Amino acid sequence: MKDKHSDGQLSAASDKPPFFKSWKGMYWLVLGNLAFLIILFYIITRIYS
Amino acid sequence: MRLLDWIVLLGTMGFIVIYGVWKTRGSKDIEGYLKGDNSMKWWTIGLSIMATQASAITFLSTPGQAYEDGMRFVQFYFGLPIAMVIISITVIPIFYRLKVYTAYEYLESRFDLKTRSLAALLFLVQRGLAAGITIYAPAIILSTILGWNLTLTNLFIGVLVIIYTVSGGTKAVSVTQKQQMAVMMGGMLVAGFMVVHYLPESVSFGDAVAVAGKMGKMNVVDFSWDWETSWNDRYNFWSGMTGGLFLALSYFGTDQSQVARYLGGRSVGESRLGLLFNGLLKIPMQFIILFIGVMVFVFYQFNQPPLFFNEAAKNKVYATDFAPEMQALEAQHTTLFNQKQEAVHGLVAALRTDDETAIAAAQAEVQGITDASKVLRDDAKALIAKATPDAETRDTDYVFISFVMKYLPAGLVGLLLAVIFSAAMSSTASELNALASTTVVDIYKRSVKKDKDNFHYLRASRVFTAAWGTLAIIFATYASLLDNLIQAVNIIGSIFYGTILGIFLVAFYVKFIKGNAVFLGALLAEAVVLYCHFYTDIAFLWFNVIGCVAVVVFGAIIQLFMGEKNKVEKVSA
Repeated sequence: MKDKHSDGQLSAASDKPPFFKSWKGMYWLVLGNLAFLIILFYIITRIYS
Repeated sequence: MRLLDWIVLLGTMGFIVIYGVWKTRGSKDIEGYLKGDNSMKWWTIGLSIMATQASAITFLSTPGQAYEDGMRFVQFYFGLPIAMVIISITVIPIFYRLKVYTAYEYLESRFDLKTRSLAALLFLVQRGLAAGITIYAPAIILSTILGWNLTLTNLFIGVLVIIYTVSGGTKAVSVTQKQQMAVMMGGMLVAGFMVVHYLPESVSFGDAVAVAGKMGKMNVVDFSWDWETSWNDRYNFWSGMTGGLFLALSYFGTDQSQVARYLGGRSVGESRLGLLFNGLLKIPMQFIILFIGVMVFVFYQFNQPPLFFNEAAKNKVYATDFAPEMQALEAQHTTLFNQKQEAVHGLVAALRTDDETAIAAAQAEVQGITDASKVLRDDAKALIAKATPDAETRDTDYVFISFVMKYLPAGLVGLLLAVIFSAAMSSTASELNALASTTVVDIYKRSVKKDKDNFHYLRASRVFTAAWGTLAIIFATYASLLDNLIQAVNIIGSIFYGTILGIFLVAFYVKFIKGNAVFLGALLAEAVVLYCHFYTDIAFLWFNVIGCVAVVVFGAIIQLFMGEKNKVEKVSA
């Protein structure tokens, strides 16, 4: 089954993350956000326990 | 329900269905119907992914879970952002490169037809059951609380979804999910604001959180690990980071109801961004929903809660010979609540003094009364079970909806019911769409009718969507109430996801394992998981890990054995 992508479109589009030069930056943003949330939740747990 | 609630509820549902049908009218080929013409932008994909995962169960059960067990359920989602990154890096580029319609198509190019068919069938079984539960879960609760007919409620949800999903396919699912997410998040935020607003004037927001903390509800993260007990603990940091990661990898990487959401993206980049959007926002969203449940808990420290939240089930006891006993329990419940209210106000006052001794004394007093209330609730549950043996004695799923019905003003009740219906419809739509595309692409087109034209497969997709929708309604109508709805869905998922993930993990990363070995390995792994489910106490989240690892290990052993056997045969020849 064929769709409307061409390989050229695929590679060009996949190289353009917003705000960062490469996708690594986006991935680190998501993982950093996770680490931040876990630390925040740990602090909340400690404060209110 | 008042007239304004009906107007809000039916107006919201009607608008979403009509918009979905109108916006996606005229799908003329299977590309458009199953992949939305690859026109989806990242925010549509992201919202669609979140709406697919957020079923009505999320909004009914999660606040009740927080009421009973505190915030710790949020840890279940800790593995999700990591899974989003892994899938963005490894899975999406492969699916795009091979231009697949379903995740299972890839397995044939990597292994063989039987492995593709096995994975597709495992998906169809577990997702077909889950689709029934997705409709049934809100229907049973709403019909109990509102006195609606269960079959008609199932039909209302199911038929609305079938209308726009059959009509517009994947695109209709995604465009309606944007509106549904707006209704869901808007409605929940309003409910959260209202519950805080309804706290006594003398109790500030800070007091409310502090009281929740002292009553053990702000237990967001638990890093502790005990080799004896933690295996059975469903919600701690470690089970979330391992079992939760595996479950998220399986769900988002191999479950067609999610894979279809990002396969409809304009490009690899749009699909990646949609998944990462979910990775950023899913945990905060769950935190907010759980926190609303905790605030409902605090609200009920100052306002008398029902002895049993499923009041319809409790009221049935009054029609039996056990009525005097229930009456006595309710009287004790009122007495205990009056004592507790004084004690809780004492705790608030103590917290403001920052005097540790006074806080500890007030906390101990509240805890003592809370324990006594729990015993009373257990007695009431036992009495309900004795008086009406068929009754469900868990009432966690009724906590939030009973608060909504009793305390929210006209209009907002309709809005919150629209939240629950939107959630049910958004998940069900994705499921029906995925069930139909897997049936058509992986089974019907591949193994039954191979050489028909595009229009035939488009028509078959519509017929299978309607057929799966009808099956889901029938299953929902005849399903009996399961132990806890949110857990039931997760348990069913965990029984099959590990094996499916194992097959995909081997496909992506363990190149020396071939089709026959992975196929046999998957069958053995599924047998191991089913054994664990029926004969051990291992928490269901671990099934994802066990199933996945078992496929890899069994597959590797079988492949090595087959390799040796082949060598021997070659030497003999």
